[in-house]
Amino acid sequence: MTDISAGVPPTATTEPKTSLVASDARTRRRNAAEKRFRAYGMVAIGVGLFFLIVLAVSIVRSGLPAFTETVLSVEFTVSEEQFEDAESQILKTAVYEAIFVNALNEQLQAKNLDVAFDAAAIGRLVGKPGATIRTFFRENGDQLGQPVNFDLTAASRVDGYINGRVTRDTLVDSRFLQGSDLDLVDALIEAGIVKERFNWNFLTGTDSGVDNPGGAGIGASVIGSFFMMLVVLVLSLPIGVAASIYLEEFAPKNRFTDLIEVNISNLAAVPSIVFGILGLAVFIQFMHLPQSAPLVGGLVLTLMTLPTIIISTRASLKAVPPSIRDAALGVGASKMQAVFHHVLPLAAPGILTGTIIGLAQALGETAPLLLIGMVGYVAREYPEAFLSGFVEPNSAMPAQIYTWASRADAGFYEKAWGGIIVLLIFLLAMNIIAVLLRRRFERRW
Amino acid sequence: MADTSLEIAEAAQQDPEAAIKIKSRGVQVYYADNHAIIDVDVDILDKTVTAFIGPSGCGKSTFLRCLNRMNDTIDVARVEGTITLDGEDIYDPAVDPVQLRAKVGMVFQKPNPFPKSIYDNVAYGPKIHGLARNRAELDEIVERALRRGAIWDEVKDRLHAPGTGLSGGQQQRLCIARAIATEPEVLLMDEPCSALDPIATAQVEDLIDELRQNYSVVIVTHSMQQAARVSQKTAFFHLGNLVEYGDTEQIFTNPRDSRTESYITGRIG
Repeated sequence: MTDISAGVPPTATTEPKTSLVASDARTRRRNAAEKRFRAYGMVAIGVGLFFLIVLAVSIVRSGLPAFTETVLSVEFTVSEEQFEDAESQILKTAVYEAIFVNALNEQLQAKNLDVAFDAAAIGRLVGKPGATIRTFFRENGDQLGQPVNFDLTAASRVDGYINGRVTRDTLVDSRFLQGSDLDLVDALIEAGIVKERFNWNFLTGTDSGVDNPGGAGIGASVIGSFFMMLVVLVLSLPIGVAASIYLEEFAPKNRFTDLIEVNISNLAAVPSIVFGILGLAVFIQFMHLPQSAPLVGGLVLTLMTLPTIIISTRASLKAVPPSIRDAALGVGASKMQAVFHHVLPLAAPGILTGTIIGLAQALGETAPLLLIGMVGYVAREYPEAFLSGFVEPNSAMPAQIYTWASRADAGFYEKAWGGIIVLLIFLLAMNIIAVLLRRRFERRW
Repeated sequence: MADTSLEIAEAAQQDPEAAIKIKSRGVQVYYADNHAIIDVDVDILDKTVTAFIGPSGCGKSTFLRCLNRMNDTIDVARVEGTITLDGEDIYDPAVDPVQLRAKVGMVFQKPNPFPKSIYDNVAYGPKIHGLARNRAELDEIVERALRRGAIWDEVKDRLHAPGTGLSGGQQQRLCIARAIATEPEVLLMDEPCSALDPIATAQVEDLIDELRQNYSVVIVTHSMQQAARVSQKTAFFHLGNLVEYGDTEQIFTNPRDSRTESYITGRIG
């Protein structure tokens, strides 16, 4: 202290006294710099928020149509005579189709909407309704003679027309839908026959072929992702936590452990596609595990998640004050008792958060799945049983989104956006769980 | 050094009932290349409060941590020489440091209760050492420890409140209660009052005086007044050397070494 005051030049005392009210030049500069810095910060946050909002709005706008489907809702009656007559014909479904076309015609005329159309046009709009109607009445014979409401799913281009994706210009050379069909659609909309309803099939269904975007669902790949996450959780949590506890609390500090540490940090930065090619070489080509299986995907993602979990677990173990370890050792606890009774419970919220963040990262990872055959696999079926869910070929949510986005039919485009919404909901849910767990288990000392 | 051993011999002659609890001979401690403790010989008596005084960095805490092998947790620390507890070498490879620490309890500079209930803080040691056969016995041990830690009356109505919610002085007494719950034979205290206000300090000092009835207490302190108030024996450390060891009264009134005199009169340190 005395040294510092002795070092002040004597001239300082000769300067005139400054007022507290009038700020000097240096203070003004300092205040201006502070204001500038705050402005930079606000601009940065503003830019971030702007892009977040743009992203959210565009995802919701493009993705929402995937959650609705267009149906032709027609109510009509089939009498028992009509049913028996139809069943006696050779082309049974054609008769039902004619009944349907007549009913539609009547309803349009009742509303004074005169549009000429034929069975072929109906075929282009809703496919072959005859079979659906026949199956219904064969199974529900008691409904004969009563008015029954049929909701027939419209073709994806009708959907696209209503969502503004398909216009008359884009249909010029189309063999799926013609410009004249759109007049019929307009009339049906006016008559209230064409309706929009929630597309449960998108959530619960499986992937469809390349020419049927309307029937595509994300359900099977959600299950694929679920099995992958199960593998990742079961493997990476115990391995990661055990490795971090050993490295942090027990391992001697020497060159070898330093080397391991550096390599773990490096692994966290390795591009995920490298893990994919490793998985292809080791798990599929060397160990002959099935291709496109969630088990292999889970193993690859485990490799990718481990460094994240180890790093965050070590950080939360480090954050536990050493006084707690001393206290435990001081009353005669063994090293392991000190770690498991005192350090680990205090580090648990951090470990859980790190694990869930790691899982969320793995859930959204696409690149490693490219190489083990999950991208591009058409997940048409749900696994038959719980255990076969691990080894039966399946897709995963990000892989499914990637597959849809790369298909030619524009109908898949909105399915891809819809898939992104589903994926984001899962990620958001996982992050909320992480926050809740942290709040629940956080203890203060 | 000759002085010190003479002093020890004298002490033993003066008070033959006070048995030697811990005996250290030629103890050296190295932190990597740093020679932190140089050739320390000291005899710590049973049922006596021994104070270690000395300027910061003189090695008194380091030496204290040798007595229950807490230095084992520091990778770079290396201890040489012999320290015996009741005639048994505590650095013998056959000795389990965990068993040693059950006999030689420790209270730290900063109160460090576990972030658990007051009850669990005290019950933890007895639980892991299997001192209680059932819940009732454990309750009894906890109550006895808290009573001896002079904190029972303040916490008896909130045994299941978190120990971290207590005031600093209460926390430190809780830590003392936790340390004595395992029935140690020696209690090491590393500046137990440095984070406490004068009132809490007085309470802890009274407690130390009472603990002398049952235990051998070794206390590291920066406060010479505290050493004079609570201890019967004082050891003065300087730059890793044990400069002088003897009766507290003699050290403070008639120090033999000029360095001790300089320190207690405030010229060094």
